[in-house]
Amino acid sequence: MTFIQVVINGLLLGSMYGIAAAGLSLIFGTMRIIFLAQGTVIVFFAFVTYWLFVKAHIDPYICLLIVVPFAFLVGLGLFYALFRKAAALEDKNVSLLLAVGLMYLIENSILKVWSASPRGLDISYSGISLVGGGLRVSVLRLILLVLALVSAFVVYMFLKKTRLGTAVRAASEDMEATTLQGINSVWVCAISFAIGIGLAGVAGVGMATVYSFDYQFGFSFAIKALVALALGGLGNVFGALAGGLILGIIENLTAFYVSISWIEAVSYGVFILVLIFLPQGLFGRRGVVKKV
Amino acid sequence: MANPLLEVKDLSVSYGDVRALTGVSLEVEEGTIVALVGSNGAGKSTLLKAIAGLKQAGSGQVLFEGEDITAVSTKHHVDRGIVLVPEGRRLFQTLTVLENLRLGAYLPKARTTFEESLERVFGLFPVLKERANGKAGLLSGGEQQMLAIGRAVMAHPKVVMIDEASLGLSPILTRRIFELIVALNQQGTTVLLVEQNIHMALNVCHKAYVMKTGHIMMSGTGEELLANPDVRKAYVGERGSKLV
Repeated sequence: MTFIQVVINGLLLGSMYGIAAAGLSLIFGTMRIIFLAQGTVIVFFAFVTYWLFVKAHIDPYICLLIVVPFAFLVGLGLFYALFRKAAALEDKNVSLLLAVGLMYLIENSILKVWSASPRGLDISYSGISLVGGGLRVSVLRLILLVLALVSAFVVYMFLKKTRLGTAVRAASEDMEATTLQGINSVWVCAISFAIGIGLAGVAGVGMATVYSFDYQFGFSFAIKALVALALGGLGNVFGALAGGLILGIIENLTAFYVSISWIEAVSYGVFILVLIFLPQGLFGRRGVVKKV
Repeated sequence: MANPLLEVKDLSVSYGDVRALTGVSLEVEEGTIVALVGSNGAGKSTLLKAIAGLKQAGSGQVLFEGEDITAVSTKHHVDRGIVLVPEGRRLFQTLTVLENLRLGAYLPKARTTFEESLERVFGLFPVLKERANGKAGLLSGGEQQMLAIGRAVMAHPKVVMIDEASLGLSPILTRRIFELIVALNQQGTTVLLVEQNIHMALNVCHKAYVMKTGHIMMSGTGEELLANPDVRKAYVGERGSKLV
């Protein structure tokens, strides 16, 4: 029973990585870079949620209705202000460097505005757990898993069922051919970037509800999302989510059966092994990796 | 005489410091098939890209229905009715045949004629109807070329530009694709072809331009150029005649 409990906890922990990885996957699809600022952007939205909670006493799940659309708009703004020109360049290093610069800018802005002390939300119902069959599941973390599944599903439906979503998939495959259909590929890139940042908004709210976070928390989180993405494979939203969940389980099993201090070593060890033996990830398409 | 549907005037294009096109002029009359022939690196593909708005012109003009479209975006070209079928087909491999066709009719104007265009494409290429829900990447080479042309037809174009339709296809399939291009033209769509299979291109076209190192060397009807000893010697060769 302990084993199942540890796995469930890992699953719940991994849903955060999953949402972040799904965002990375979308952004990678059209911009061909790993958006290293993703974790810091998530921390920023966690601070926004914190601020809404403390100053305006808004329930964190109500905050979703504010934070997610706001994140989407921030994404559009960031794309047009920073990445529009860089995304069109053959040399992707420019976009990558911009992402790193953006990460430090956001990190230090958070430090200036909210100070360096770690924050966490004091939610009245944070202690509630579902208990049954000898298992115990924290409601806040369970909601987080549901949020992750719902987000992935919404993004999946957008990509599969809508005209613009189809254009996003086309653009992740061949930008020039997409342009040749009369499609405004800049707008398509902006939309997929904005959805990626929108997912960071969801993750930010999630982070605020279950973590204690500070301004430096973002980078290591982005790297975790990158590991999740490598596990799941590029070019597949559900794959990215699954990668996140698996990473969460690996981390939790390591913490419980080995030692907490081994978590990082084991997860990066898995990362390297996956890159060596299964570069397309567990659920990825071979072609995607080859093309990059 | 009325203005030609598409007119290129003294167009020059460079890649960095390298001149790809120098003072190219050509005219495409409505309802015709015009072929651009010439050896590799002559600038044919660059010319099509420049007409499609994908490559910025250094100087000169592209006129469509008498209107200057040199500096407008590819989106507006497609909306006006000029569509490029790029070299190598460039299908969206992981998308289905139908999704590829839908993207061809992405713009609002093309969307209004979606059903009609789809029927037309399926009429020209019945195999695409059978494979509608299959992935484009799983089609054979000939079918992929059909889909690439079909995707362009979905935009309800006035002019379809086709870059190397015969690339990688067997002689039999090449002939089949050319029959379909002629059928497309007979339905009223103007066609501008770039083709390596010069004999085939000169046989189906109403007019052809011979390009060399970024210049137009000569032009004439297909028969005229086929009869021209210089053209025969330089481009057609003796084997070419066996293909037709």
